[in-house]
Amino acid sequence: MLGHRPGRVAGLAFAAAVAITVAGCTASSPSSGGEASGGGGDAEKADLTYWYWGESDAPGANDWMKARIAEYQQQHPGVKINLVLQSTDTLIGAFTTAAQTKSGPDIATQWATIPVLSQAWAGAVAPLSDYVPEDKRSQWIGTQENTDKGKLYAMPMYVIGIPLAYNKDLFTKAGVAEAPKTFDDLLGACRKLKTAGITPIGMGNKDGYFGAWFFSNFGKQSLDSTDDLKKAIIGTADIKDPKYTGFYEPMHQLKANGCLNDDIASLTLDQGMAKFGSGKAAMAWGTDGIINGWAKQLGADKIGITRTPKWGSGKLADVYNTTQSSSAFITSWSKNKKAAAQFLTWLHEPANLSSWYEATGIFPADKGFQPSSIKDDLGKQMWDLDSSDGAVWLENYLPPSVDGDGNLAGGQVITSGGSVKDAVDTFSKAVEKWRSQNPVEVKNYTAWAGQ
Amino acid sequence: MGWAVTQTSSVPPAAAASAAGGTPRPRRTRPRRPVWPYLFVLPAIAALGFGFVFPLFSVVRNSFFAGTFYEMQYVGLGNFRQLFGDGVFLHSLANNLRLLLTVPLMTVLALLVAVVLHDGVRGWRVHRGAVFLPYILPAAGIGLAFGALLQFNGALNQALRGIGLGFLAQDWLGSQHWSIWSVGGVVVWQQLGFGVVVFLAALLSLPTEVVEAARLDGVSWWQLQTRVQIPQLRSTIEFFVVTEAITVLSWVFTYVYVVTGGGPANSSSVMEFYIWRNGFAQGSVGLANAAAVVVLVLAAVLIAVYLRLRRPPDDEGGVL
Repeated sequence: MLGHRPGRVAGLAFAAAVAITVAGCTASSPSSGGEASGGGGDAEKADLTYWYWGESDAPGANDWMKARIAEYQQQHPGVKINLVLQSTDTLIGAFTTAAQTKSGPDIATQWATIPVLSQAWAGAVAPLSDYVPEDKRSQWIGTQENTDKGKLYAMPMYVIGIPLAYNKDLFTKAGVAEAPKTFDDLLGACRKLKTAGITPIGMGNKDGYFGAWFFSNFGKQSLDSTDDLKKAIIGTADIKDPKYTGFYEPMHQLKANGCLNDDIASLTLDQGMAKFGSGKAAMAWGTDGIINGWAKQLGADKIGITRTPKWGSGKLADVYNTTQSSSAFITSWSKNKKAAAQFLTWLHEPANLSSWYEATGIFPADKGFQPSSIKDDLGKQMWDLDSSDGAVWLENYLPPSVDGDGNLAGGQVITSGGSVKDAVDTFSKAVEKWRSQNPVEVKNYTAWAGQ
Repeated sequence: MGWAVTQTSSVPPAAAASAAGGTPRPRRTRPRRPVWPYLFVLPAIAALGFGFVFPLFSVVRNSFFAGTFYEMQYVGLGNFRQLFGDGVFLHSLANNLRLLLTVPLMTVLALLVAVVLHDGVRGWRVHRGAVFLPYILPAAGIGLAFGALLQFNGALNQALRGIGLGFLAQDWLGSQHWSIWSVGGVVVWQQLGFGVVVFLAALLSLPTEVVEAARLDGVSWWQLQTRVQIPQLRSTIEFFVVTEAITVLSWVFTYVYVVTGGGPANSSSVMEFYIWRNGFAQGSVGLANAAAVVVLVLAAVLIAVYLRLRRPPDDEGGVL
C-alpha cells in the first residue's frame, strides 16, 4: 500500500525492536565483579578502541586527545588507537549496553565514583591497579574517587571545580559591590541586578544538569561528610529529611525571586550558561574549562570567580567542589589490557600534562603538574580553589538511576514552576525505585558505603 | 486430509473387499512428504524465531525479574505492581493517550490539504512536495529546529510578542503542562505529509465518472467532498487512522527524545521513552521489560482493531 512503511502496520516491529534491544541486553549470564581476565596481551602490539568523553568539561580536550594518540602511535608503531567520541546524554547507557555484550571499547570513560564503580561491580571494569605500577599511580590526584576494596578502577586525567562566575562590569552597573559569599548575599545581588534590568543568573535546565549541579553545590552544604548521603541512599536515613533534600528550598527561592533566567527550563545547560559568555547574564556556574572560554569572550579581567555562596551549616559547606569528573578505565573484556594501561600511564607523562593544560586550561590530575606554570590570575584563583582540602562533588555519590530519575528530574520540577514538596517526592521516589530495582547494586553500594 | 486411498477404483474399498469375499482391511498409507520444501522456508522460520519469537519470549520472561543487565532476581509480578504504582509510568501512558488526540486532528488536516490539492490548485505537485518534506527530514534536525523555535524566548514566542499576542506566549518546552502538547504539535507537523500523500493518491485513483455525474447533478464543492469523494476514501482513512494511532502509541520516542528529552521532570515522557530510560539509562531492566509488555498488549489491541476494520464484510472467519 502507498506510503506503507515496512512493519509499521504490523506494529510488532516496535515490540520486536524493544525485545531485541531490551531483552537481548539481559540474556547473558552475569559475570563476577571486577576481576581482570586474561594475560593482558602485548603492550606493543594492539588495536585499541577508546570511548572518550571530556570536551564538555574541558573545551579542547578532543583535539588534545587526537594529537596525543597520533604521537603515541608514532612512538609505538604496533599500537593503533581508534578514538570514539561519546556524548553526554548516552555516556552511561551506551557503555552499559556494550558491557552487556562484552564488546566495544578497550578503554572507556565514565564519570567518577558510582558511575565507574557500579560498572566495576557489574564486572565490566578491570582494576587499573593490576596493570599500572604503584609508583605511577601514586602521582595521580583523586584516586580515592574510584577506589573500592583497595583496588583502583579508573584513571583521573584532570581536576575541575565549578565556581560561580560573575561579570564585574554588570555588578558595578547594578551597584553590587562584591561577590556574594552567603546565600542571602546572592539574593541581595539578584535584587539589585534585576532592578538594573540585568538577568542575574544565566543557566539552563532542559537537560536537568543545572539541577544536578545545584545538588552538588548546595546539597552538600547540609552534610558533614559524604557518608551522610550514603546513609540516605541505602535507607538508614530518611532522604526526605531537609538535611538531604532541603537544597530545593534555596533553588525555589532563586526561581521565585526571578534570579534565574526566565527561559531556564527550555534551555540546555550549555545554552543557558552561554548567556553569561555573551554578557547577557551577570552570574553563572561553570567548569574551569568553560570559564576559560568565557574569559576569552569577555576578557579575563571582566570575570570574577567565587565559591558557591554559603547556605548550609554542615561541615561540607566549607569545602570546595572539585572532582576529576570523567575517568578512564580498561574494560574487563579487553584483550589488550597491558597496551591500554601503558597508553593511559603515558598520558600522565610530564610533556602530556603540560600540553593538556595548554590545550584546555584545566589542571591535570597529577602531582607532577607544576602550579608555577599557571601564569594568569584567573587560573591562579581556580588552582587555589581546586587544590583546597576536602573538596567533593556530591553527584558522584549518587547511583546513576537516582541521579537521572531523582536529581535531574527534581531540579526540573523547580525550574519549571513546581513546588519544593514535589521535587523532594521526585527525588525520594527515585531512591525507592533504585532500591527495589537494583538489588545487586544496592548490595554492592551498601558494602562500599560501609568501608 | 493427509490420508489417501491407495485404490483408484470408485468402489469403496470396504465394499470391494466384501464383494470379493476377501478379508483384507482397506490399506491406507501415509504418503511421504518431501522434506526439501521445509529446507527452503527454514531460513525464514529461523529469522522469525530469532527476530520475533525469542525477543518476545525474553521480554515477557524478563518482565518477571528485577536487576541490572548483569544479574537479575525473580520478582514475580512485582515489576507490574511497581509499574502501575509508578507515577512516571502512568503519566507516560496518559501522554500516549493524549497524543492519540492528534490522530483525528492530523487526519482532518491531511484530508483537507489533500482535497484542496486534488482540486487542481496551481502548482499542486510543488505544494505536495512541500507538505511531504517534513516527513523525510531527519529527527535530529527536527529536534534542533523545534528546540530553537519553541524556547521561551524562541522565534515563536518572539513573533507572538511582536504582533501583540504576547499573552499567548508559553514556555512550550519548559512547562510541565505544555511540553507534551509541543511534542504532539511536532508529530502532527511531521506526519501530516504522509497523510496528504496517502489521501491524494487515493483521490487520484477514484473513478472520475462519479464525480462528473455529481457535478452534473449540481452538487456544491462541499457536498462533492463530503458526500461523494471522502466516503469513497473510507478504507484509506481507516488505514491512516490506525497506523497513526500505532505511531503515537509506539513510535514517538524520537520526537520526545529530540524535542523535550522527556522533561521537564518527566512531564513529556511516553511509554517508549520510559522503556528506554529504565532499560538503558537507569539499568532497571525488569521494569523496562514489564513496560514493553504493556506497550505490546496495547499495540496488539490496535492491530486487532485494524484487522477487524480491514476484514471484508462477508468474511465471518479469520483469527479475530
